[in-house]
Amino acid sequence: MSAASVNLDKLPSLDELFRRFNSGRHLNRVAEPALWVELENNREAYQALFSALGYELRFDERGFAWFHAEEASSNTSKTTRQLALLFMMIFDTQADAGKALLRFDEWRLDAAFLQQLMEQHQSLLEAEGLGEEGLRSLLDAAARFGFARVEAGHWRLLPAVCRYLDHFEALADHHQERAHADPLHDDDEPADEDET
Amino acid sequence: MMQFGFQRLVLLGSAGYQRAELPLDDSVSLIAPNNTGKTSLINALQFLLIIDRRRMDFGAHEFDKTRRFYFPNNSAFILLEVSLPQSGTVVLGCVGKGVGHDYEYFAYQGQLVVEDYRLPDGRLVAQPQLIEHLARQDRLVYRYTPTEFAELVYGGRRQRAQGEPDFTVFKLENPSDARAFRQVLTRTLRLDKLNSRDVKEYLLQIFKRDLPDANIDFKQEWDKAFAEVNADRAQYEAAQKQKRRIAELEARYDQLRALRGKLLDWRPRIDQGLADWHVWYEQQKAELSTAEKRLREQERQQTRQDRELTEQRMGHRQHLKELEGKAWEQQQLAEQFTLVTGRGMLEQQAQAIQQALESQITLVNQASSRSAQSIRSEIERNQQELSALERTLANLDDNLYLTLGKHLSDAELQRLNRVLSRGALTLGRDQFQLDPAALRSVLADSNDHQLQLAGLTLQLDELSEQHHQLSRSELQSQLEDLRQRQEALSEQMTAADAMESARARKQQLEQERAAIEADLECFDRLTELAADAAERDAEIQSLNDTLAGIEERLSESEARAEQLRKELYDVQQQQNRLSDKNHRIARVRDARGDDGEPFSYLADLDHQPWLGEPEWSLDDLADRLDEYQRDCRRLLELGSQLHTGLAELHAAGLTKFQFSDDRDTELQRIIRFSHQLDQEFEALEKKARSAVVNVTASLRELRDGLLAFKGKMREFNRLIGHRRLSDLKTFRIEPADEPQLVEAIETLIDTASRVDSGDSFELFNHGSLLDDADLDRAKQRLIEEGNARRGLKVADLFRLVFVVGKVDQPDEEFDDIDSAASNGTVLMAKLVTGLAMLYLMQDKRHPVRTLCYLDEALSLDAHNQRSLIDTASEFGFALIFASPAPLTTARYCVPILSQDGKNHISRQSWQILESLEEEA
Repeated sequence: MSAASVNLDKLPSLDELFRRFNSGRHLNRVAEPALWVELENNREAYQALFSALGYELRFDERGFAWFHAEEASSNTSKTTRQLALLFMMIFDTQADAGKALLRFDEWRLDAAFLQQLMEQHQSLLEAEGLGEEGLRSLLDAAARFGFARVEAGHWRLLPAVCRYLDHFEALADHHQERAHADPLHDDDEPADEDET
Repeated sequence: MMQFGFQRLVLLGSAGYQRAELPLDDSVSLIAPNNTGKTSLINALQFLLIIDRRRMDFGAHEFDKTRRFYFPNNSAFILLEVSLPQSGTVVLGCVGKGVGHDYEYFAYQGQLVVEDYRLPDGRLVAQPQLIEHLARQDRLVYRYTPTEFAELVYGGRRQRAQGEPDFTVFKLENPSDARAFRQVLTRTLRLDKLNSRDVKEYLLQIFKRDLPDANIDFKQEWDKAFAEVNADRAQYEAAQKQKRRIAELEARYDQLRALRGKLLDWRPRIDQGLADWHVWYEQQKAELSTAEKRLREQERQQTRQDRELTEQRMGHRQHLKELEGKAWEQQQLAEQFTLVTGRGMLEQQAQAIQQALESQITLVNQASSRSAQSIRSEIERNQQELSALERTLANLDDNLYLTLGKHLSDAELQRLNRVLSRGALTLGRDQFQLDPAALRSVLADSNDHQLQLAGLTLQLDELSEQHHQLSRSELQSQLEDLRQRQEALSEQMTAADAMESARARKQQLEQERAAIEADLECFDRLTELAADAAERDAEIQSLNDTLAGIEERLSESEARAEQLRKELYDVQQQQNRLSDKNHRIARVRDARGDDGEPFSYLADLDHQPWLGEPEWSLDDLADRLDEYQRDCRRLLELGSQLHTGLAELHAAGLTKFQFSDDRDTELQRIIRFSHQLDQEFEALEKKARSAVVNVTASLRELRDGLLAFKGKMREFNRLIGHRRLSDLKTFRIEPADEPQLVEAIETLIDTASRVDSGDSFELFNHGSLLDDADLDRAKQRLIEEGNARRGLKVADLFRLVFVVGKVDQPDEEFDDIDSAASNGTVLMAKLVTGLAMLYLMQDKRHPVRTLCYLDEALSLDAHNQRSLIDTASEFGFALIFASPAPLTTARYCVPILSQDGKNHISRQSWQILESLEEEA
């Protein structure tokens, strides 16, 4: 289907989707089923339209979509770096607790969990200058970007976090080559092979 | 043995071919340099097989251009010879109409003989003459519109003209799959990008008959399943909360029913009573009036009798007093005469006193009769005379008379003598002063018969002369007489005094005689009284008795009078009451409280029979009527209270029975409901259980659909995994669950099965169930997803992934097969997938070999080529490889020749390859 055939009338949520994606947020099927369905039903049209505007809309069949940017702006790099750190610590903590990483949607990231996380990664957090408040605001940022959502008194990860998880697993695969170059990587074994 | 299926494709004057004949009954290696019309040749088949121009796909070329390319004039033909099991060999054709590069379809039974389309002059027959021309070759040609033709080819045509052969090429298991079949066929013919979503769509279409076609609106299911439970529960809870109020209403309703029964029983009595009242009233009134008269008469008689008795009593009392006076007199007299022995004693005394009196009377009668008093008066007068004479004598020579006589005439003296007293005229010289002149002038002022003094005039005629001048001797003699007289008088005086005392004695005696006479009289009285005493006492006794009797009667009479007054009062009271009742009845009669709404149909309303009411007397009518009126009001009041109560119950949420036929029914139901709350509780629990089970029934259906689909996919994978593709150890298309949804469904189904089997589930202890965060999340997720998709389908529960495993490498999942492996491998994978899908759709009882096409076939090695040819053949397809160089794995090698700018494929250039072993 070519961009010329895009019928804007059939894309009622274009505005909202564009604003969402353009502000760096991820759309999760679980979190926004209605928007997702619209995006899914008009996937080609959206992709063509955004592409014509110079954006690359990417879909992950695990249920999330985002605007892909090859070069992270310096502006967001700090946040994404900290988010990467956060998710890495979360996955690491949960892996240590023997939890299946792919079932991250079942985790309740509450105060007790944060406490546990802080205890396990104290030195790392200190190096990054993050306290509990910092973690909380980081989780809020994650929620803003569509990696997590706030529920009553706690957070829950959303499928978009797979982007990080995939990356961690790739890192784990290339542990030897990358270890020296990645400041986020410590000597712990990353997540093991997952089930499927 | 000839297989049914495509035999040859022939293009005449189309797509840059002057003439092209391509064998389709086995694998073909179409040989030509790039861009020499290989794809055009294959694409020509779209006109005959896809038919719907919207479905045709010619890459970047616009359809108009494509049409001009394929149908430049009315002698352009695309012809396909197919051998069909039901109709033998047939030709399907498409011919240009020239104008606007349009085209039309036709078909006929028979072999495809290219020469049939040539005119004797060697030119191709034009479209307008085609039918006639072919008819001359004994070809009975049928013309079709694209729609008809599509139905023809895919077996959807409902009816055929008589004698019209069955041209169905693609017998599908289900004609409704035609659309999907054509889509897959297009894809397979062209082997464009084939991604997991397309495959999913086709496979869902292919397997749809094995899947529930349910499109489950989970929210609706949930709400539907729980609507009743929630509504019932709300009602139950409302009733539970309102129990006290309902109990009050029940009590009122019981009152209402009892009251209705009572009023129903009373109403005819009241009516009868009112009808009888007047006569009864008049009768009662008359009776009371008679009684009143009788009592008043009795009262009058009583009064009369009392007066008589009082008079008698007065008489008796007087008589008694008299008698008692006599007794007292007797007693006094008896005391007085205690010492008197008899009358004789008193008579003796009386006699003695009589004798003394008689002698005294004699004594007094002998004495002078002149009283001492008169004597004493005479003595005094004599004395005064004596004194006057003595003074006259003393003044005899020089008294006033004599002096006046010297100065005055006789007449004048005379006049004065009449006026002045003797004493004055005899005053001595020293006792008067005289101015004779003055006296004479005074005297002269009046005549001889008058004397005028200053302010006083006296008539003298009647007056006598006071003084007469005597001589000394005369005087002395008179003096002597007087002195003698004085002495005599003194003697008389002494005698008179003695007489006085005698008379006093007589008087005393007379008194004594009177006293004794009185005593005698009294004594006689005493005697008399004493004689009567016994009789009197008896009389007194009798009188006292009589009086006591009278007193008694009087007092009895008082009681009787009191009684009468009371009776009268009673009668009056009765009269008043009667009148009052009459008034009350009259008042009520015109304002009965039982007309209007509920009373007119009271008997039809629920009521409690009123039993044991005895007959009433009319006397009670007024009271009964009042009570009846009160009850009527009370009935209305109860009705309104019940109404309010119901409204309050409604407001409190107990609306379950709101639409009952009437208020009574609603109340009865509510009351019954409130009595059965325990059973309601159990029923609710059961309903809730079944709601949970019901709500998950649809989810089970979805899950079972997913499982069924997975089963089908396993079959599909066996189909495509039959032969190894290129260097792929593994090639599968697998459904991957959408974990969030599938898990949500599992969570709910699990809960339901626990609910279904477990006894532990208690509706109102199941805070755990409805408040369970995981369950709620699962429910919410399904609701949100369902809302977004307007219902959940099996398709929403999974996505397809291409699982690709190369030798010595772990399997990997890909959403898009194009990125999964090398070019040739991808081509193979797509082809196999497409063929498998088409195969699944075809009716296996009607095997018709068709074709598929693989461009860039050189990227496959011979082994893979052969493998593909075999796989395609198994699925009923002849494979056409396109490549610049011949492939020896194919049965036919067909080069495209170019001559005069026109492409050309001649039957003579076909090269048939047969293996030596086979030959041997």
